[in-house]
Amino acid sequence: MSQVGGHTERVRHRTHEGFLRHRSFFWAQVATALCVVVVGVYFFVARDLAEPPNGGSWLGYLLGTMSAGLIVWLACLGVRKRVITAGHYSLKAWVSAHVYLGLSLTILATLHTGFQFGWNIHTLAYVLMMAVIVSGALGVWAYATLPQRLHGNRGETTRRQMLDTIGSLDAQLHEAAQPLDRAAADVVRLSIEQTDLGGSFWKRLTQSYGDCANRRALARLRALPAPGSAVQAEALTKVESLMQQKADALSLARRQMGITALLEAWLFVHIPATFALLAALIAHIVSVFAYW
Amino acid sequence: MAQAFHLRLITERAGGGDPIIRERDVAGPEAGIGRAPDNDVILADLAVDLKHARMRFAGDGRVVLETVSGAPFTVDGRSTQRAEIDLARGPVAGFGSYRLAFETAEDGATVTVTREDDDHHPAPSVFSLQARVFNRRNMAWVLGSTIALICLLVPLFLSGVLAPRIHPDQQWSSGPLSKAHAFLETDCKACHVKNFQAVRDDACQSCHGAGDAAPKSLARAREAGSPFEPLLASDHAPRDKLEAATPLPASLGGKVSTLVQRAVGHPTDRCASCHIEHTKAGPVPGSTPEAPMDHKPRLVVVQDCASCHSQLKMRLKTTELVDTPNWEKHATFKAMVVTSAGPKPTFQRIALNTAPQERNGLTFPHDLHLQPLGGVARQAIVLGKNKGYGAALECASCHRPDAGGTGFQPIEMERDCGSCHSLAYARGSDGRLLELPHGELQKVVDTLAGRRLTGGAGSNRQRPGTIRPEAFSATGASAYRATFSRGGACYDCHTVAWEGDTVRMAPVSLTQRYLPRGGFDHSVPEHGGPGQAKAGGFECADCHKAQTSARSGDVLIPDLKSCATCHGQTTAQIAAADDADCTTCHSFHAPGQATPKPGHPPLETLRWTQQVARLGD
Repeated sequence: MSQVGGHTERVRHRTHEGFLRHRSFFWAQVATALCVVVVGVYFFVARDLAEPPNGGSWLGYLLGTMSAGLIVWLACLGVRKRVITAGHYSLKAWVSAHVYLGLSLTILATLHTGFQFGWNIHTLAYVLMMAVIVSGALGVWAYATLPQRLHGNRGETTRRQMLDTIGSLDAQLHEAAQPLDRAAADVVRLSIEQTDLGGSFWKRLTQSYGDCANRRALARLRALPAPGSAVQAEALTKVESLMQQKADALSLARRQMGITALLEAWLFVHIPATFALLAALIAHIVSVFAYW
Repeated sequence: MAQAFHLRLITERAGGGDPIIRERDVAGPEAGIGRAPDNDVILADLAVDLKHARMRFAGDGRVVLETVSGAPFTVDGRSTQRAEIDLARGPVAGFGSYRLAFETAEDGATVTVTREDDDHHPAPSVFSLQARVFNRRNMAWVLGSTIALICLLVPLFLSGVLAPRIHPDQQWSSGPLSKAHAFLETDCKACHVKNFQAVRDDACQSCHGAGDAAPKSLARAREAGSPFEPLLASDHAPRDKLEAATPLPASLGGKVSTLVQRAVGHPTDRCASCHIEHTKAGPVPGSTPEAPMDHKPRLVVVQDCASCHSQLKMRLKTTELVDTPNWEKHATFKAMVVTSAGPKPTFQRIALNTAPQERNGLTFPHDLHLQPLGGVARQAIVLGKNKGYGAALECASCHRPDAGGTGFQPIEMERDCGSCHSLAYARGSDGRLLELPHGELQKVVDTLAGRRLTGGAGSNRQRPGTIRPEAFSATGASAYRATFSRGGACYDCHTVAWEGDTVRMAPVSLTQRYLPRGGFDHSVPEHGGPGQAKAGGFECADCHKAQTSARSGDVLIPDLKSCATCHGQTTAQIAAADDADCTTCHSFHAPGQATPKPGHPPLETLRWTQQVARLGD
């Protein structure tokens, strides 16, 4: 298995360049240069400002305008990703810039605050922005590491095949259980009808499926009294074997879901926090000029 | 005719298309229903018992359904264990996922058996996170619109309505107000009067307006709940002059910034341009850490003094001010000099380097009075400590500091000169000395009318107690003429002129403040004030050359170079070195007074102290 994974990895390196190393880290260099310049200007200018560093100085306005512009542009990725183009303005280039310029925002916006924080809309906007950036950074980590784990888990099996396997096992269980009496049939129904494949976010993340219906059904099946006839005994043996196979299929699929959950979880912070940030940003800007 | 159940078994194809229909008859009158193969109606659903129920004809188009295993089934949606159904009404029985629809047939009943396909095959999307309520889109819209509502729309439109109870716009405050303005923390509109308009001077002046507006300012501050009496501030100069005289900043960035701010309605010549609120009190240059500058708004220098007071005449043709681009080029002091004494004295500011002479109507040789030996000193010693003397005269014998110690009380003849210079002219019938009414020439003349001089004119100096009142009698020369002539009591100190028999004598006019355009603090130890001065500090005589001044017309005010011995120097050069900042001597809002240094207690202006306690509790 690891042999196969390694091989695939080598092939990928040759043919595929991810958004992180796009154009030999072009956008990483741009973002770094931006940060260095801005930090330099800040510490060069802030000393000479008449007032304590704050968002209302000319430097503050400059940094604020740049940051707000960046935030709006970064948020536009949500629109941009729905349009497919290629070349320099390919989605990959866009995502690469999104990641690195987004990270540089931590420097720009922090300097814009002049290190003045308080319980107000302005700091709320800053905190939301940091939440978006931190969740985004988690997303970058997830995209950089988890696809390998996903691949390692599923091998050559597709998601559809995993589901088909479980569906097929359910059908076989149904078929095999036909001769069984009500008590045994109920146990089989428990496995077929009550098994929850994924479950909640926490279940997926922690892989805690102790109350899995199939597992409970298996336990109850083994506790059933001896069957009345040879046909039923045979059916029971077959059912047990099928349930065991189903348990294996379930845990494979659920591991896949767990990794997928990790891969997607950051978006549940990133996207809502972005919208909250946009609202807070508008409130921040409007309030500053309303009470100029 | 035997009754039978005609079964129609309908099976949906997995891939769609026409269903498979199989038909079979079950001879009546009874048929078993269940999952086991030996039933008449076999329902392959695990929810159905092996032998679940049976049905039989009950005559007259009716069929009875009853459970065999004890498990229920449904008839027309209702769960039951036994039901007698009327075929004509087309009832439907349910067993697990199977539906048995009954109809009347010629020879019994048609039972159509279908299976509801419980299609619970999950799609591959089940691998992705999904949330019905807390999905990304819902959370995004809910969070976004909640923040827009609470943080923007409510403060923007409802602050006025909600003001008495809650202050939703307080969340917009970017930082705390200074202690002086802390009482306005919840009343944003006190300063931010109009939305989208930078804080205007009117708002500041409603509490801080000086001059005629002062009573209104105090009333407004009280009404707004200020625990402090506001500092009343005047403009540096008339508004129109300020606007004309202020140049654009020297730097390109400053020019751009000023023009842009002017264009967008945020001009840089507002009160709030220099007095910044909602920002932390950062280090003020030259202030000590313990100086409570956070009691006042943060002061920011938008334009320094030199930028306006350089080439001022080019921008302000009418000005008489001399340019002061820097300390080194500060003009020579122009002292306020009395040019003619009298009831309506005239004053003129004359440069000190032209050695101006005052015509103040006083004859007073400082040198004579300050001699360590001689008659004056002798007399002071004789007067003794009880009378406030006891040694040769010094400056403080006559020049008494005012309440603040910054300046001096005006010289008063009776208090400051009267110990030696007697006004007594006679002894009354009760033995008490009679004194001439000082300061009232006509009364003096009237008092002396008719009296005659007994002794010769030019008698010795008289002092109280040693007077010889017998100097005057009803005979001899005119006491009136003698008093106002050489040797007479008045002639000693006053400039006297005669027009025939009429004496002409103007009241003495002394300048109280020689340098009215700047503040000088005599209470500073280095300026001769009380306390330990640093090395290089001054005594009175270092600046005021009184010991060598024989004429009262001498202007004993030092020139700028005396100040420059310390101001503008470094401590390496002189221990008493201090800054030569314009504001040391010229307060911006009151150019005629010095700016209190940061070390000075700024709360001096925050009065109404009985209410300050309210702030603390």
